[in-house]
Amino acid sequence: MKRTAAFLLMLAATCTLLSGCYDGKEIDDQTYVIAIGLDKGETNKLRMTLQYAIPLAMGSSGVSGGGGGGGGEGESKSIGSMTLECPSVYSGLNMVNNSVGKQVNLSHAKVMVFSEDLAKDGRMVMLTRAITRGKEFRPNMVVAVSRGSAEDYLKSIKPRQEADPSKYYELKFSGYKYTGFIDQTQLHDFFIKEESTGAQAVAALVGVNTKNSTKEFSVGESSAPQKNRPVPFEGDYLAGNLPKVGDIKGEAMGLAVFNGPKMVGELDGEESTHYLMVTGKYGHAYVTFPDPIKKDFYIVVNLKQSRRPTYKIKLVDGKPNIKVEIKLEADYMSIQSGINYESEYNDIFERSAEKYLEEGIKRLLNRTSAEFHSDIFGFGNQYKSRFLTWDQWKNFQWLDRYKNSTFEVAVDVKVRRTGLTIRNAPIQGSEGEVQSP
Amino acid sequence: MLANFRKTLARLFTFEEPKTKERFILKETEEEMAEGGQKEQDKKVEPRKKKNEGLQLNKKSGENEENKGPKPDISKALSENMERIKDIYSIPTNGDAVLREFDLVVKNKVIPAFMVFFDGMTDRKVINDDILQPLMLLSNLDIKSDEKSIADYIRSHILPHNQLKEFKAIEQVVQGVNFGGCGIFIDGVDSAFVADVKGWEHRAVERPNTEQTIRGPQEGFTELLRANTALIRKILNDEDLIAESLTIGRRSRTPCSMMYIKDITNDSLVKEVRRRLKSIKVDYLFDSGELEQLIEDSSFLPVPQIMVTERPDKAASMLAEGKVVVVMHGSPFALCMPVTNNELLHSPEDSYVRFPYANLLRFVRIMGVFLSLLLPGLYVAITNYHQEMIPTSLLFAIEASRERVPFPSVVEILIMEISFELIREAGIRIPGPIGPTLGIIGALILGQAAVAANIVSPILIIIVAVTGIGSFAIPNFALALGFRVLRYAYILLGAIAGFLGITTGLFLQGIWFVSEKSFGVPYMAPFASKTAGGIADQFARPPFWKQEKRADYMNVKDARKQPHISRGWKSQEGEDQKEEDDDAGK
Repeated sequence: MKRTAAFLLMLAATCTLLSGCYDGKEIDDQTYVIAIGLDKGETNKLRMTLQYAIPLAMGSSGVSGGGGGGGGEGESKSIGSMTLECPSVYSGLNMVNNSVGKQVNLSHAKVMVFSEDLAKDGRMVMLTRAITRGKEFRPNMVVAVSRGSAEDYLKSIKPRQEADPSKYYELKFSGYKYTGFIDQTQLHDFFIKEESTGAQAVAALVGVNTKNSTKEFSVGESSAPQKNRPVPFEGDYLAGNLPKVGDIKGEAMGLAVFNGPKMVGELDGEESTHYLMVTGKYGHAYVTFPDPIKKDFYIVVNLKQSRRPTYKIKLVDGKPNIKVEIKLEADYMSIQSGINYESEYNDIFERSAEKYLEEGIKRLLNRTSAEFHSDIFGFGNQYKSRFLTWDQWKNFQWLDRYKNSTFEVAVDVKVRRTGLTIRNAPIQGSEGEVQSP
Repeated sequence: MLANFRKTLARLFTFEEPKTKERFILKETEEEMAEGGQKEQDKKVEPRKKKNEGLQLNKKSGENEENKGPKPDISKALSENMERIKDIYSIPTNGDAVLREFDLVVKNKVIPAFMVFFDGMTDRKVINDDILQPLMLLSNLDIKSDEKSIADYIRSHILPHNQLKEFKAIEQVVQGVNFGGCGIFIDGVDSAFVADVKGWEHRAVERPNTEQTIRGPQEGFTELLRANTALIRKILNDEDLIAESLTIGRRSRTPCSMMYIKDITNDSLVKEVRRRLKSIKVDYLFDSGELEQLIEDSSFLPVPQIMVTERPDKAASMLAEGKVVVVMHGSPFALCMPVTNNELLHSPEDSYVRFPYANLLRFVRIMGVFLSLLLPGLYVAITNYHQEMIPTSLLFAIEASRERVPFPSVVEILIMEISFELIREAGIRIPGPIGPTLGIIGALILGQAAVAANIVSPILIIIVAVTGIGSFAIPNFALALGFRVLRYAYILLGAIAGFLGITTGLFLQGIWFVSEKSFGVPYMAPFASKTAGGIADQFARPPFWKQEKRADYMNVKDARKQPHISRGWKSQEGEDQKEEDDDAGK
């Protein structure tokens, strides 16, 4: 009996030592922000847009909801948003709690969008440093830069296919695995790269597509003219200027490049693909190549990266010389010219594809060193192992030397499969056989 | 009171040298094995034990009494004995005590006699045919031999009954009669006979109700001691299996049988069990559940320290592992000791099904333990403190379902857990014919109406249901009960301090369990107080041919269950043999 009494007393005693239930909060006493947008404020330092989920409107879960889904262009009911101007993120949250009944909880925020202005003047980096300090933010939240205002971008998101709006952001930013047009730039990654002495940060680029009709499409918006292409390829766009009309106005494409605290440039979709290939994060995607034999025809392959790239970095006259080897595999998806690339001309295609990719990647690498002075690939971190002490490495000033780098790129493309068709047979007609239209 | 409280507080916060308390510890036996003397001693004890093994029960109790030596107080005068018996059994107030007077003729002398027995506890046919008839009729036969006394004469010539004992003390006779014997008093003889004519109503051997298996024997223990010991002996067929008889209960003198295998079980363990059993002083014992509580190490540990089983095969396998099994008259549950926490999670089926399935079953069972112990606590902790851990979609589903529930989640889960306990308890007590009603109440009212009325959220019903199913997956009923009790502690800890509370709880429970012993064996062996063959033999189950050794912590006399190569046909010689046979066949 005495022993139980002592045991119970001890339990009670330990309970007082534990951090009591003061920070316990029921799930339904909180509202969960799924996306945060930050712009320059008109009257204050920041304009913060919070997008929160409204679970009761998410239908299906029995009691209410549902029903509403049908009404055409109407607001998505599962999502609510609020915009306010505030001196800082945390004070903004305090202010929001005055109007929202439930306490705002940021632990499920999926994306944090900064406007281009904030990214360009270095405030974005300061803000992310403050955010990583707070325990209520998820470190794997995506950091994105919006071309235009972040508020507009968040307001353009009205997920209609997903009952749960957070799923929209989750899926969208993990889509790089099969598009290759962005990178899932997570907060902790961004933060580490910002403070790293051997790498610089990038952030996914998002934007709002304002086109209302197909008449507004123009080739000029794409980066095809700069690349001397008569027709833009799928990757020649930046977020917001895809030739597209439809329900979903928000787009994510391309990367924002940072040098130190400031955003210094943008990479379009194709360059983002190359960026992923060089860093080894490329999954697979459909990629268009010009036909090496017939002009103005294209070959589309499903391109995969199944091995990690290898880097060889050395100093030549005090300038970094970086050699990147990339191994890719491809499956034919479409051969417009009807030429028999599946067997006899396969080699021709492989070599031309290699050359084409090498050129593109080299263009990107040179751009980052000459134009942006920013080692977004983290070559510095690879080269770091050559140094014995931290001071040696620090005094080496990699990030400063990167702008003088020279590059060599070797791409190896192997076609593994031809898809479900083994070879193209000529098309038959009254005029006889036709190879291709 | 206050002083006491202060003392307790002081004791809690100041260091105190722990009192050295001598507890029984099951030690290694190797030295003992090395000593030949010990073995001889065993042999000396053996014959007496062997005699005890007999089918007759009264005999043993009688013998024990003889050792203690109650006063021989049976008078030569029949009337005096009759008066005393009438007094003891309150005849004729006592309706079922039968006293039958008769005469027998020995050597042409008419001798009055009487017999006493309990109606209903004895077999009428045996009394009529084997006792009364010979005494009244056969005594007239002309007997050739020359006998010294009437008692000897009756014993050797007249009573053809197979189990007959002669006592000098009334007390012994009374005990025999109380346990279904028939006491026979004869005028002029200062002793009395007790014939074993037990014939009470009892249950036949049936399927075990509480421990069912798909594979394996389908017999269960009954309420009869000898039937139970015979069920075990029938499985083991080992002359080294000892069934030591003991009586427990000052008034009830309930016969018990302490069984062990002489050359496997550690002697000190047998001695300790015997010591505990013999030291018990209670008036009556009704079930082995009471006996279990009297001999277990710690009454406050929420989990059992003695395995209770209804299956003879399980008891036999426990014996083969070097454990001691106590069977009690009147209880269909045998007690196996010592036991570790891990063994309580084993089911007899584990050894009967092939080993890949057995391991799956074990794994599922461990899952069941964790679910039944921690799931509600974890739910409360996560939903109150660690929302960031929940996948977002699930979080929104929980939020939507909880939105209309007016209670905090702790209260919600306590409501459901308590109603579930109610259903369980009611389900056991409910009379058979109304049983189905309970199912309707449980399913409709708790399952659906509570959700429809927004008293609880549907997700919580899933939590409670999974928890309940988890606890049913635990093969030992008492262990499941223990975890059921602990579960509430974890709910409260989760509500008070989230994961920190649950971790603290697990830590405290770990310390507590690790410090406990069951008959000298560390309760958490073979994991805490690590012994050989922990994971491989105890947690998982190797193929049957690989289970070569008995549990290390049992410190048995014979550690090997089977030789290194137990499947002869696998070895090369076997192959050759087979080939030769084939050749010969051709």
